[in-house]
Amino acid sequence: MAETAVESDQLVFSFDELMTEDAYEEPLITGGVRCHGGYIGGKYVSPRGAVRRRAIANWHRRLAADGLPVVVVPDKYVPPSYPNYPQAKFLLTEGVVDPLTRALTIISIVEGFGARIREVQLPDFDREIKESIDGTSLAHLGSGLFEAHARDEAGHRDQGGHKQMWEAARDVGLDKPDIPNDVLLRLMTGGSRGERKRAFPELSERMEGMITMMANVLIIETFADNTFTWAKQLLGDPEVSADAERAAHIVDCIARDEVPHVDYLTVALSELRGHTLCSPDGTFAIPGSEVIDTIFRGQLRGMATQRPRENRERLRTEIRQAIADESRATRIARTFEDLDAGWEFPHADDEELDILLSPA
Amino acid sequence: MHIRANPLYRRIRIGWTALCVWWRYKRLTWSDRLRRREPDADALHRVHQRNADHIFHTAVTLRGMLVKMCQVIGTRSDVFPREFVDTLAKCQDRLPPRDFDTIRRVVEEDFGRPIHEVFTEFDREAVAAASLAQVHKARLASGEEVAVKVQYPDIEQIMHIDLQASRHIAVIYNRFDKSPLDFIPLLDELQKHLRMELDFRREVESADRLREFFADEPSVKIPRVFAELSTRRVITMEFVEGARVNDPDALKDAGVNLDGYMARLMRIFNRMILAYGFFHADPHPGNILVNANEHGRPVFTLIDFGLAKQLPDGFGMGLFELMFSMMTFNESAMLRAFRELGFETQTGNEETLLHIARRMIARSDTGAFQGEFTEDMTDEMFDAIREDPVVSVPTDFVLVARAFALLSGIGHALGQSANALDALGPNPS
Ligand SMILES: Nc1ncnc2c1ncn2[C@@H]1O[C@H](COP(=O)(O)OP(=O)(O)OP(=O)(O)O)[C@@H](O)[C@H]1O
Ligand SMILES: [Fe+2]
Ligand SMILES: [Fe+2]
Repeated sequence: MAETAVESDQLVFSFDELMTEDAYEEPLITGGVRCHGGYIGGKYVSPRGAVRRRAIANWHRRLAADGLPVVVVPDKYVPPSYPNYPQAKFLLTEGVVDPLTRALTIISIVEGFGARIREVQLPDFDREIKESIDGTSLAHLGSGLFEAHARDEAGHRDQGGHKQMWEAARDVGLDKPDIPNDVLLRLMTGGSRGERKRAFPELSERMEGMITMMANVLIIETFADNTFTWAKQLLGDPEVSADAERAAHIVDCIARDEVPHVDYLTVALSELRGHTLCSPDGTFAIPGSEVIDTIFRGQLRGMATQRPRENRERLRTEIRQAIADESRATRIARTFEDLDAGWEFPHADDEELDILLSPA
Repeated sequence: MHIRANPLYRRIRIGWTALCVWWRYKRLTWSDRLRRREPDADALHRVHQRNADHIFHTAVTLRGMLVKMCQVIGTRSDVFPREFVDTLAKCQDRLPPRDFDTIRRVVEEDFGRPIHEVFTEFDREAVAAASLAQVHKARLASGEEVAVKVQYPDIEQIMHIDLQASRHIAVIYNRFDKSPLDFIPLLDELQKHLRMELDFRREVESADRLREFFADEPSVKIPRVFAELSTRRVITMEFVEGARVNDPDALKDAGVNLDGYMARLMRIFNRMILAYGFFHADPHPGNILVNANEHGRPVFTLIDFGLAKQLPDGFGMGLFELMFSMMTFNESAMLRAFRELGFETQTGNEETLLHIARRMIARSDTGAFQGEFTEDMTDEMFDAIREDPVVSVPTDFVLVARAFALLSGIGHALGQSANALDALGPNPS
């Protein structure tokens, strides 16, 4: 990740430093909407990166120097994008556009809601972490890292973020499709997770909530890799895309912007693993690694099994909805299913998921 | 209680009230002009308040359409001064009920047989009384307990008289005074609205529609309606009991877990407003009853679909985009959303719209919009619109903003935020 190999031992950064922009020569404008980031020497450079990139690299290096491993999601746990590229292309060539418009719109909204990370209530680190966290990324979550992440996802002031960029990719690639009017309904139905139990009731609700949120976002961002590849293939395919080059480029910009998100979340969670977490009254202490690993594994297993299943069920219904003619719907559905390679979560009964690797 | 249905009496009372209101305003402007001074905000506030009180008093005495008119004024914060809105919104509260014989007559006329043949029991005391109707508890031959909402028999005639009187006054008023407010379109709107609300079959249809929409959502309940025992003037429905939605003690006594309570309630209204485009537009606390399910989670029973409203296509998405762009301070996106929602500036100067949005955001608790339309913000928006009336606001937006403000009020009573953006995701655990 440390593509900017800047020799520096600075570990403490101000909010403004973390927001600093590179000196863009040209802004990114897509679909008439000004977005974040811009071009230097003809190459796209992600927003708010002039210092943030270096800062994350420095924290990562320190982690490695301390001999601490970093959290990663191995590829085998990452479900493939669904519908896959051949399936999606098949639908488009059959003129069944709605399911893909819907999927891309939902991605744009969910990305936008990524901004809610700025509302995470931070625990009292001084009391609830035994060791000092000076000079870690943890110490910067509330003073720049979450805010920069939020702005990248939802946009800020006159600059659009990933929400607007996904909308642009959809509109450029699928030529301004009609948005199905059940998109918001879809966001609100299903996915009810039942009553959630606290995994570590001795820790403060804020501590557990923050870790759960960060693990959740990190997993989503990791899974998103497949979504980017898929979207670049599909929207970048001149046989089905209205402007293949432009649409694929927009998705590529989004993918680049996500790199620092994965990086800082990885570093922060890995730092936490190396610390001792305490209950607010100080009577209970537990190694961070135990907490992070339990929460992380639980989230990973849940998301990697439940989502692919739900997605498959949904899309089957959607295809039926999109095609009025019964026999045509059956034919399309059959071909569509044949193109599905399927997905099984590896060893579903195994309690221990190997989520950890040492830093390279 | 006896209602004066005598047309002459009603006309005179209404006319007199209108005259007093008009006179108080005139006296104020004349005295300002005489003394060559700027109008004084305090004095204006006092006159607004006295006029509002006077109208309220007349409405409560005369009942009928006037109460309904006050309720409508109470929802039109975009047009009327805040003193009017606050005072006249009190017409929502309970009024003394009418006597049992009046009610029995309606039931017997509509079903063509004695009331005890329709219901095995029928409480003489009303459960509640409002402007158009009152509700009694009764029992069916099957033993089932029901709520019977019965419309007042003379209400149509009274409405007619009141509307005519108001219309005459409005015409005279327009001739007298180069008024900035033209009441006639408002009266037209009111008349259209009342005609719909007077037909209870429409209310039953709205309830049926939403019951079907929420069939898969166990946290919402809409009382079953007995179609064969409902007419244009009578609705017979399942009797529901429950705690008041904004009463923390009653909710706790009912065993309701208050964690994530508002998020659940907001999700229900979001599903109607943002996603479905057909919604219960009157979520005042009297219209939502709450019980606990087996996990102690709230089940919300919605009643009174007299004000259910269909929203135009794309409205939900437009509203979502407006909230989202306010959250991110993205002003060009705000403008797109305002336009999508049907806001118009007469001069084409869109700065006005941004000005409104900025004032609203500034009034939120944190100085940043995070998804809750508080009453303060809605008030601020309507103040801004009144002060700079070059903007025309779509009626649908007014209704939705009012519904969100009512929900925010419920949240306030419980110390929770009524965040519409938060509630957009799947059910909180
Ligand atoms: N199904 C029911 N079960 C129990 N009580 C009911 C039921 N329906 C109505 N009520 C009671 O009657 C009151 C008035 O009913 P409703 O709100 O339908 O009348 P309304 O004339 O539209 O009143 P308003 O406009 O003031 O809300 C309710 O607040 C409630 O207390
Ligand atoms: Fe993103
Ligand atoms: Fe991201």
